[in-house]
Amino acid sequence: MKSLQVQIRREFWEHRALWIAPLSVAAALLAVVALFGHQQLVHLDTTDGVTAAGGRAPPVFEIMIIGWAMIFYVTAAIMASVYLMDCLYGERRDRSILFWKSLPVSNTQTVLVKFLVGLVIVPLGSFLLAAVTSALASGILEVRHRAALNGDLSLWNTITWLRLQGVMLYAVVVTLLWYAPYAAYLMLASAWARRSPYMWALIPPILLVLFEHMVFGTNYVSRILLRSYGELSKLAFRTYGGSGPLANIPDPAGLLASPQFWLGLAAAALMLALAIRLRRYRDDS
Amino acid sequence: MTTIIEAMGLSKRYGTHVALDQVNFSVQSGRIVGLIGRNGAGKTTALKAILGLTPHTGSVSVFGLDPSRERNALMKDVCFIADTAVLPRWLRVANAIDYVEGVHPRFQRARAEEFLSHTDIRQRSRIGELSKGMITQLHLALILAIDARLLVLDEPTIGLDLIYRRQFYDTLLNDYFDYERTILLTTHQVEEVENLLTDVLFVDRGHIVLDASVEAIAERYIQVNVATDQIEAARALHPFYERQIFGRPTMLFEDQTRGALSGLGELRTPGIADLFVAKVQTEAA
Repeated sequence: MKSLQVQIRREFWEHRALWIAPLSVAAALLAVVALFGHQQLVHLDTTDGVTAAGGRAPPVFEIMIIGWAMIFYVTAAIMASVYLMDCLYGERRDRSILFWKSLPVSNTQTVLVKFLVGLVIVPLGSFLLAAVTSALASGILEVRHRAALNGDLSLWNTITWLRLQGVMLYAVVVTLLWYAPYAAYLMLASAWARRSPYMWALIPPILLVLFEHMVFGTNYVSRILLRSYGELSKLAFRTYGGSGPLANIPDPAGLLASPQFWLGLAAAALMLALAIRLRRYRDDS
Repeated sequence: MTTIIEAMGLSKRYGTHVALDQVNFSVQSGRIVGLIGRNGAGKTTALKAILGLTPHTGSVSVFGLDPSRERNALMKDVCFIADTAVLPRWLRVANAIDYVEGVHPRFQRARAEEFLSHTDIRQRSRIGELSKGMITQLHLALILAIDARLLVLDEPTIGLDLIYRRQFYDTLLNDYFDYERTILLTTHQVEEVENLLTDVLFVDRGHIVLDASVEAIAERYIQVNVATDQIEAARALHPFYERQIFGRPTMLFEDQTRGALSGLGELRTPGIADLFVAKVQTEAA
């Protein structure tokens, strides 16, 4: 347990961007809200209208919370991708792999910890940070609002906020499971590359798609490789009539019943196994 | 004394280059064994096979374990320093200690900190800020704090100045070695370890050209600084190597009695460096 903990911390020591970037986003967002929140709020108030406190908050609140969260999720996706492409290549580039391998940590453990960091810890950490930041930012807005309008109107609705967090947590979890093969593929490229893992991550799928398009004129491979988010949404959510993000109802059974979901996880497991093997036998010196 | 490393028929090729060709050797516990050879002779390859870092043919066992399959278990008993460059530059000294403490069940933090307190290394520093000599000291501090049974050193003092090199080996002898532990080291600076070793393995172009204890060398090999009028008589006894020093021939004899050689000149036990040069040059001829 202690070993696992320090192995996870080690990843954040090396890849400081993994925690600096999301914290910077949070700080920037809070600063922007604190500086300009009032004007924005008044503007929103006049366009959407605001119900009295106690009723369902207007969609503007939902859209605001989701919009803020998206900034965190996009940051996390970029950070995690860069991290996964670098994590098994960097240790060979600086030859520190010989130091890591001199300690009783197996290749399997090493690869799985890095996978866990990139695919689970960074996204879930970003989710938590987004949730906390959205509550803080809403608080700031509320204070400014009350000061300006003598407190009758409120955007904040605790129930809505909690429901949104629930839906977003579900969305984050299904998204990371859905894109697990992407993460494993980036690690495989990282374990494979002698130089430039980024090229190895990008070029093979692009070539495959071009090849299919030019030779067969089809795009089956492209669609399988792409694993579009739209497809995931259809599988993992049921949509009821109505507007706003909360009209999407989580439907885990739909996702679990789909072969695409399980094939993706199987592909991820296979690529991870290859990455482990490569880390064991790759001998660059 | 028990056999802790046993290699049989160990071979390794890199493409068409044969790095090790059907090598057999064993290492006993409580010894300090020098694996001595020129650059590219196969020393590092042999160490990598022992540490499970490279695929090979033939068998190697260390403490009865197969290094490539059971590296994780093996690394609880084995420590190694590949060379000074492998500690990652981004790591802080304090974090390096945290990490090794976290993953190694036999690491004693107090020992490492005690050792570091005698150096100029500060725990806040990043490894990239340290000098080469300090990085080696840090690595040594980490290793000395692990209660391991076998220490493997691959060119540990390469690129260090004389003071650091001397300190390194002094520390190794005084603070680490206790006649139960075993040290296996490679170097091409033979003079530096000459007085340290209990056994030598000379490796040249993938073959072992000498495998002997220092005592056995003293019994089997005699160096004679031949008197000028005894040159022909000395040559008649078949020295396996001859060279001129200040115009006077120095000859090396294998398996000759001191009695037979005593009239020829001044008798000495050859130094390991001299014996190495002689062995490698006669093998090449």
